[in-house]
Amino acid sequence: MSLTRSSLSAIRGKAVVVAVAIATISLAMQAAPVEAATAPSRIISLSPSATEILFGIGAGKQVIAVDDNSDYPTNAPHSKLSSFTPNVEAIAALHPDLVILQSTATKASAVQAGLKKLKIAVYLETTPNTLDQAYSEFTDLGALTGHVSRAKVQIAVMKSKISSIIARAKKLTGVSIYHELDNTLYSATSSTFIGSVYKSFGVTNIADAAATADSGGYPQLTSEYVVSANPTVILLDDGAYGESPTTVAARAGWSGLSAVTQKHIVVIPLDIADRWGPRLVDLYTFIANSLATVASK
Amino acid sequence: MTQTTNSGEISRIWNWRITLTSAILLILVALAAVSFGPIHISFLEIIKTLCGFNHSASPQDRTVILQLRLPRVILGALVGAALATSGAVYQTVFHNPLADPYLLGAASGAGLGATIALTSTHHNLTALLPLCAFLGGVMAVLTSFFISGKFFAEPNTLLLSGIAVGSFATAIQTYLQQRHSDALRPVYSWILGDLTSASWSVVAWSSIYIAIALVILFSISKQLDGLMLSDEEAFSLGINPQRLRITAVCAATLATATAVSASGLIGFVGIVVPHLVRGVTRRVTNRSLLSIALIGAAFLVLADLGARTLLSPAELPIGVITAFVGAPFFLFVLRNRRKVDFS
Repeated sequence: MSLTRSSLSAIRGKAVVVAVAIATISLAMQAAPVEAATAPSRIISLSPSATEILFGIGAGKQVIAVDDNSDYPTNAPHSKLSSFTPNVEAIAALHPDLVILQSTATKASAVQAGLKKLKIAVYLETTPNTLDQAYSEFTDLGALTGHVSRAKVQIAVMKSKISSIIARAKKLTGVSIYHELDNTLYSATSSTFIGSVYKSFGVTNIADAAATADSGGYPQLTSEYVVSANPTVILLDDGAYGESPTTVAARAGWSGLSAVTQKHIVVIPLDIADRWGPRLVDLYTFIANSLATVASK
Repeated sequence: MTQTTNSGEISRIWNWRITLTSAILLILVALAAVSFGPIHISFLEIIKTLCGFNHSASPQDRTVILQLRLPRVILGALVGAALATSGAVYQTVFHNPLADPYLLGAASGAGLGATIALTSTHHNLTALLPLCAFLGGVMAVLTSFFISGKFFAEPNTLLLSGIAVGSFATAIQTYLQQRHSDALRPVYSWILGDLTSASWSVVAWSSIYIAIALVILFSISKQLDGLMLSDEEAFSLGINPQRLRITAVCAATLATATAVSASGLIGFVGIVVPHLVRGVTRRVTNRSLLSIALIGAAFLVLADLGARTLLSPAELPIGVITAFVGAPFFLFVLRNRRKVDFS
């Protein structure tokens, strides 16, 4: 393990050097201040991911309020504004000049229309299914807030870090995973964002067999199927709802699963699996480390 | 047509003062609803803006009052009036105090229509959600009619086929939902019902259908009292009970389907408000329909005011409030109803 860690940090060191180099180049290319006069100065973020991105690209000082689910970074201007059930008037009361709205929010299009009537600019954020889609939100928000170059740097840093994490990981042939969303066995296929993370490490996702069952990529599996598929690793995205290696082992018929007997059950930290900000690097690191323990045995 | 006054019972005579009181109540509630919101605007400013005198108001205040709050209040009033009146009519037609506007599968059918629109891969179908919900609701009721055969020869058969059609539509809706988890949230929020999407265009089209339906129902309100008697007695009063029931249910369905397509499934208004008005006034005549409509409108506008402000800055589904406030109030009225016949 010590060897793994030291080589990992060596790669990280290289990545940072590369990133800084790219940053310098891109800064030199865009020396002129970008849209400083027109950049919004009163931004409201109603998405935890957008909040992390805005602070990551240096637009944090322009943010006047973030929603009730945005808990990172801790110095963000937290408010009681709702990301899931936004209220047009409550948003307008803070006199924003740009609102980041999730397309999955309740009546998002109606909220967007209401804000437009009040002449408030809206960025409708769609949930990404791939890394590139996540990066494009960095680019969009960079352009909107006048931080084009910082956004480019951030993307370059993340790209190099993530590709080094993937390159560093051992080839995991014959390893299968089961990503659990809740204890009624909803899972995520490779067409979802989290599924694409697993895919990049070359593991088999047992939910892919049920890919046609749900257009959204989140099918509900049967217990019998999970048992017969016998995944090598079980990753729990429902730790916050009380699921743990112990509760999984106690399920009827699951005690013989290799993930249970080999103790390859991992609880994913609460917020890193569902957000696509700069901390995606942490998610890749976490998944890489979780899978590495299998490969090392 | 004079059977109501000839019966000699005080409870069958309507009093215009009650209607007037209901109308005043609605106006007061609507004014309060336009006045309150997360953005503070003085009452005087609001009155001036509503009357069109206020040219000094900031553009934002004007937009908030005229584009955000007012269409929402008016839509709430329309939907409340439609659901309460339909509920009252259904209760009379089916001789059943538990009848509500969703009885014949209108809700499940509209839910299926909305889910089809939301899970469709064609983007333009999503924009047609209100139309899909409307058609779904109307088709479910028509199917119930068709299956039950002789229309109103046996109201109970119609009622049961309504329940079967409703369950069938719900089953398909749940299946579609399961296959398209990405649409889960919009479907869920639609089922809970809210007035968030209120705009002048929604108010415009929904007001036309609801107005047509309500005018029909108000115009037959006196005859509807005849349905409280046996069919033979109704005939002797010159009423064709079967034709009257069909007219009443068609108009009520038009109102319900429009309300549902504009605001989703808002429960409890259709049951609570008619009983409330009849219970408080101790009158069962259908000439109270206008008052029921006015009180239904006031009730929903008030509930939506709560939906907008109670959890502010978040929204609360209006259905939560109608049931949370409506249910205990309903029980209170039930306890005090004494000898009033509710059906």
